[in-house]
Amino acid sequence: MAVTNRFDAIVIGSGVSGGFAAKELTEKGLRVLMLDRGRMVEHIEGYPYDGKPAYEVPARNQMPKPLMDSDYFIAKHGYVAPSSQQFYNDDRLNPYAFDEGEKFYWIRPGAVGGKSLIWGRWTFRWSADDFAANKREGVDGEWPIGYDDVAPWYSYVEKYIGVSGSRENLPYLPDSEFQPPMDMNVAEKWLKQKLETQFPGRKLIHTRLSNMTEDKPDQNRSKCQFRNQCGNGCSFGAYFSTQAVTLPAARATGRLTLQSDAVVTNLEYDAARKKVTGVRFIDAKTGQAQTVQAGMVFLCASAMASTQILMNSRMAGGGRSHFDTSGTLGRYVMDHIFRVGAEGEIPGMTDMIEFGRRPGGVYVPRFRNLKGDEGVGFRRGYGYQGSARRDPAAPVGFGKDMKHGMRRYGPWKFGMGAFGECLPYADNRVSLHANKVDRFGVPLMRFDVKFRDNELKMMADARIEGEKMLKAAGLTNVRSYEGEHVPGDAIHEMGGARMGMDPRKSVLNGWSQAHDASNLYVTDGAQMASVSCVNPSLTFMALTARAADHAVRTKAWA
Amino acid sequence: MIDRRTALAGVAAMFGTALYAPLARAAGASGPIVTPVPTISEGPPSAAVFTPVQRAAMTALSERVLPTTDTPGAIAAGVPVYIEKLLADWSYPAERVPILAGLDAIEAKAMADYRVSTAKATPAQQDALLTLAMNGQITGGKTFFEAFRQLVIAGYYTSEIGMTQEREYLPVPGEYDGAFPYSKVNKVYSA
Repeated sequence: MAVTNRFDAIVIGSGVSGGFAAKELTEKGLRVLMLDRGRMVEHIEGYPYDGKPAYEVPARNQMPKPLMDSDYFIAKHGYVAPSSQQFYNDDRLNPYAFDEGEKFYWIRPGAVGGKSLIWGRWTFRWSADDFAANKREGVDGEWPIGYDDVAPWYSYVEKYIGVSGSRENLPYLPDSEFQPPMDMNVAEKWLKQKLETQFPGRKLIHTRLSNMTEDKPDQNRSKCQFRNQCGNGCSFGAYFSTQAVTLPAARATGRLTLQSDAVVTNLEYDAARKKVTGVRFIDAKTGQAQTVQAGMVFLCASAMASTQILMNSRMAGGGRSHFDTSGTLGRYVMDHIFRVGAEGEIPGMTDMIEFGRRPGGVYVPRFRNLKGDEGVGFRRGYGYQGSARRDPAAPVGFGKDMKHGMRRYGPWKFGMGAFGECLPYADNRVSLHANKVDRFGVPLMRFDVKFRDNELKMMADARIEGEKMLKAAGLTNVRSYEGEHVPGDAIHEMGGARMGMDPRKSVLNGWSQAHDASNLYVTDGAQMASVSCVNPSLTFMALTARAADHAVRTKAWA
Repeated sequence: MIDRRTALAGVAAMFGTALYAPLARAAGASGPIVTPVPTISEGPPSAAVFTPVQRAAMTALSERVLPTTDTPGAIAAGVPVYIEKLLADWSYPAERVPILAGLDAIEAKAMADYRVSTAKATPAQQDALLTLAMNGQITGGKTFFEAFRQLVIAGYYTSEIGMTQEREYLPVPGEYDGAFPYSKVNKVYSA
């Protein structure tokens, strides 16, 4: 379908950021075209396996290994299953330069809604110090904004999307506008009491989750039904997704045009006026390339894809990007470091089990370096995400005894994994491949990103402290583990087009607006100058709503 | 505005052999380049994995691993069909090797000890054969037993019978109770 209408703004990408941009801009009166490279997925009817038990899903919902290895060899790190397969990128057809540079898992969606259909849904505010730490510590990447700039937008987004959680009054993990938290189970309550007694200052709290515990009838959304099949798509609209939340709002204005299968290759730029003039994309349904003009662009294609589009927007002949006057485009790429954890058995309470399948679990917020450098050998800190559960008893032998033995549960087990902050480094960078392009003619992304000494020391500490805490709390058979740390694996990749005060050292200003084009906003993870240690999606949404407000107030599209 | 084929042909000419392989295919194709989601094979196995003797033994032994008791067993739950489908279409050929070898070794032992095929042996004899395998007293038996039991368990507890009769399945729990008495159900809830 060739796009012929006139638009005030084009939004590229339809995930947590793009969906919010489309909602905000259309509600403020703008005519918006939203483009997404993925296939169309409509709310409810696009979820073929919603509510289906394993025996009604192909291959009992276990991705066949040959297919995993041929088409989902990156997506497998992002929990792809037959029931969610249609939401994921096909790594064979849409590759990046896997075999060059440093190892990086670029886990991508393949559908409208982006990662909002497949995300982990843990939802946290950043703290004031998360924004201030780079400057205070002299780390390259001073934020041009602080917590107070974002706080009203956190509230705005939280009230709209619905976030469940408990008020804790922790300065290092500010409370959101909460719906009631999901209950801890009996073993988690036991552990909370033990842990907080043994380690004063450390907390074990309810998770903060975009799964709702109260209905939102005005949005036709119901509270979580405790199915824990979120990745299949949720017809209750119980968790935040573009499909359930922002897309219906944008469509209700009558000012949204949504085009799926639209692969954006680059932005067109008027160097004299320092303005973006249009967006070039290939309609994968027809194979036709076309350029659509608009007064303004919101680039929300995901941290790495937005960076790729910016880098590929350049003079003929492969020169520097129009948006890279600073020389920082593609640099300071980060991800949370993880694959460290601890687990053990919680004694007793064996007469009790869980009723219902709860998404989420419990959270141990960051406790390291909260009062500046505590001399622990690394900067910043990490938080643990975990849960207590009982698995069915393990099989013993075979036959009737085994079968009936498996009608019982094993002991309560608790496991938690750490997510740690990665510092920004100029030479943790991504770039366009010099001579390999994809089937749309876009140069492949190459990743030269690695975790360094600070991150690895932090993970070593997280392992030691995790094991120590669980042992001191009274768990038995405690073990800790450390796996391979591959950037991208946390699916919290950020940076590449960071915000900053100084146009010579950053791509965007404090309004997520490009220094090199006042009608270009980049409001996804690409804009981040640091990454905190908490899950980032809420912050992307808040910064997107804030940027949309700025764009409309300043008439950036006119 | 240039069309895709022209653009790709131009790129291909510029970069010659360094062109990423899928691009070369796209450049030669005509029309849309939107691609469907790869489908997972369903229905009967695309090729037989077992000989009739092996299939009969596999079927009988699956029932001995998860027998009919007060709830249906492996055969009623479709476990043998699941195993053949998995080995035919949802896994690598290498995964068949220990299963086929183990079935053959058990078959040879059945003929030697009982003078009947595994499938025709009594349940007690089949249990004895499985026990020998489990204890490594048949060549390749331990490897077979672990892999086979895992297949039977996976197939059974993801089947409708396994999920809804042997275990309890709540399609829409609607609420969460983290201190629910096991004695109210005396079963395991399916995931």
